[in-house]
Amino acid sequence: MAYLEETGVIKDIFAYYGDIGYDPEIPGYFSAHPEALAAIQVIDHYSPETEDSGDDQNFFEWLWSEIVKNFVEKDRYQLIIMGLQNTVFITIIGLALGLLIGIISAIIRSYHDMRNKFKILNAIVRVYITVIRGTPILVQLLIIYFIVFASSGLNSIVIAGIAFGINSGAYVAEIVRAGINAVPKGQLEAAESLGMTFNMAMVTVIMPQAVRNILPALCNEGISLLKETSIAGYIGIVDVTKAAMLIRSQTYSAFVPLIGVALIYLIIVLFLQYLVGKLEKRLNNAYR
Amino acid sequence: MPTDEVLLEVKDLHKYFGDLEVLKGISTEVRRGEVVAVVGLSGCGKSTFLRCINQLEVPTSGEIIFEGTNTLDGSIDITKLRERIGMVFQSFNLFPNMSVKKNIMLAPVKLKVMTEEEASVKAEELLKRVGLADKADEYPMKLSGGQQQRVAIARALAMNPDIMLFDEPTSALDPMMVGEVLNIIKELAESGMTMIVVTHEMGFAREVADRVMLFHNGVVVEDCTPEKFFNENDNPQVKEFLSHLI
Ligand SMILES: Nc1ncnc2c1ncn2[C@@H]1O[C@H](COP(=O)(O)OP(=O)(O)OP(=O)(O)O)[C@@H](O)[C@H]1O
Ligand SMILES: [Mg+2]
Repeated sequence: MAYLEETGVIKDIFAYYGDIGYDPEIPGYFSAHPEALAAIQVIDHYSPETEDSGDDQNFFEWLWSEIVKNFVEKDRYQLIIMGLQNTVFITIIGLALGLLIGIISAIIRSYHDMRNKFKILNAIVRVYITVIRGTPILVQLLIIYFIVFASSGLNSIVIAGIAFGINSGAYVAEIVRAGINAVPKGQLEAAESLGMTFNMAMVTVIMPQAVRNILPALCNEGISLLKETSIAGYIGIVDVTKAAMLIRSQTYSAFVPLIGVALIYLIIVLFLQYLVGKLEKRLNNAYR
Repeated sequence: MPTDEVLLEVKDLHKYFGDLEVLKGISTEVRRGEVVAVVGLSGCGKSTFLRCINQLEVPTSGEIIFEGTNTLDGSIDITKLRERIGMVFQSFNLFPNMSVKKNIMLAPVKLKVMTEEEASVKAEELLKRVGLADKADEYPMKLSGGQQQRVAIARALAMNPDIMLFDEPTSALDPMMVGEVLNIIKELAESGMTMIVVTHEMGFAREVADRVMLFHNGVVVEDCTPEKFFNENDNPQVKEFLSHLI
């Protein structure tokens, strides 16, 4: 990057991506301009570079030098951090939207199944779920980016969040519906036999029990979503996977960037799974 | 000790599940204070009959007149009807996510029949009545089957119903616990509660009921006093039914 700084090219790149006040001292400046940073990293790769690799290294020396080369040199770890931010951001938008769509869909389906209401909405929801579950998520992402939001001018990260939300919503819908169905039929009958309305019974009796069935599965859906966002690179987003690929293309070494990024995913997933496990234990101990 | 006042009148009640006719024209009357035992072999339509009365199942045709109003004419508020009809299920169906006391208080409070305080007093009184005053804050899953069913009875009574429907209230219980539940139901009968009890407990029917109705394939084939039903009955279908019991 020093080369680009010296020649002033870096300013031009940021200006091209819509920011004329280039100032690397502003905290978070680079991550605020992911497209520009991605471009810089690519161009940077062609800039002059001096390299000396000894021949008589053992594996650990080699590994260490690779780590230094891929993450430390030219502050490449920043690219990983930025990618991680984007990954998390897309996951959070996707999850929030997925929950919203999924819960509404599940309620429509349950009302239809139990009360014969919302016939048309139910049909729409069923088509939605069938299509989403019957097509690859990558294809969905590409359709949403290149067709649905093609000329919207929306930030690609937001578009990815929407795409993952729409995808996740179908799975959330089925999780929530299964959770509601798993509450024994007698619960609704008991509530109704006391004179409670269907809505009242749903809110006070069925849903609180359904949540216990649903919550662990929902957390697992969130974990899957996090992993699935690794395809965001296909629409030009530098997520953590794409960041690793950019580093690879600059350093010509695949091992450390890719294994590194796999470890990052694994650590996050294991941590989240640990939390889900604790949650499950607490849910199982309730009312007993 | 039934009175003369007719509380519930069922006229030519039919119920189909798809093409299957489960009730084939049931007619009967239940007087205030009367205890009716409904007996019959498995699958003859006993539960369906009870569930039609509070419209957990929608009858296909016929009339059900409860406290002078036809409940099937479509204009009545079914939830209001159900407030006056208590039901106790074979499988208790307590709400596992609430304490015993909250189970009892839920409907009266949510339906604004009582304030929180009134419902709390009522719940404690009912729990004392079913002998579970010390279990108020327990969760249902911690109780034995017999205790759960007693709570379910208290829960149904909390709405001050005019009639109680029992659908095999002791069939899911260990034999050890049948007695404690039947005793509560018997006490309730003695206090003047009108009730229809679907049961396989012939001792109970003989001792507590004012009338026994025998269902067979969706029709009432006998409807008489327990004395007549169990002692001097020459109806072949009654003989056949009684011979199925041990
Ligand atoms: N929801 C339903 N859909 C279809 N058929 C049903 C339904 N409920 C009951 N039936 C059928 O109606 C018939 C009568 O059932 P019901 O539960 O009223 O019998 P029952 O006399 O209560 O029997 P049991 O002593 O086993 O409880 C049975 O053949 C049953 O399979
Ligand atoms: Mg039955």
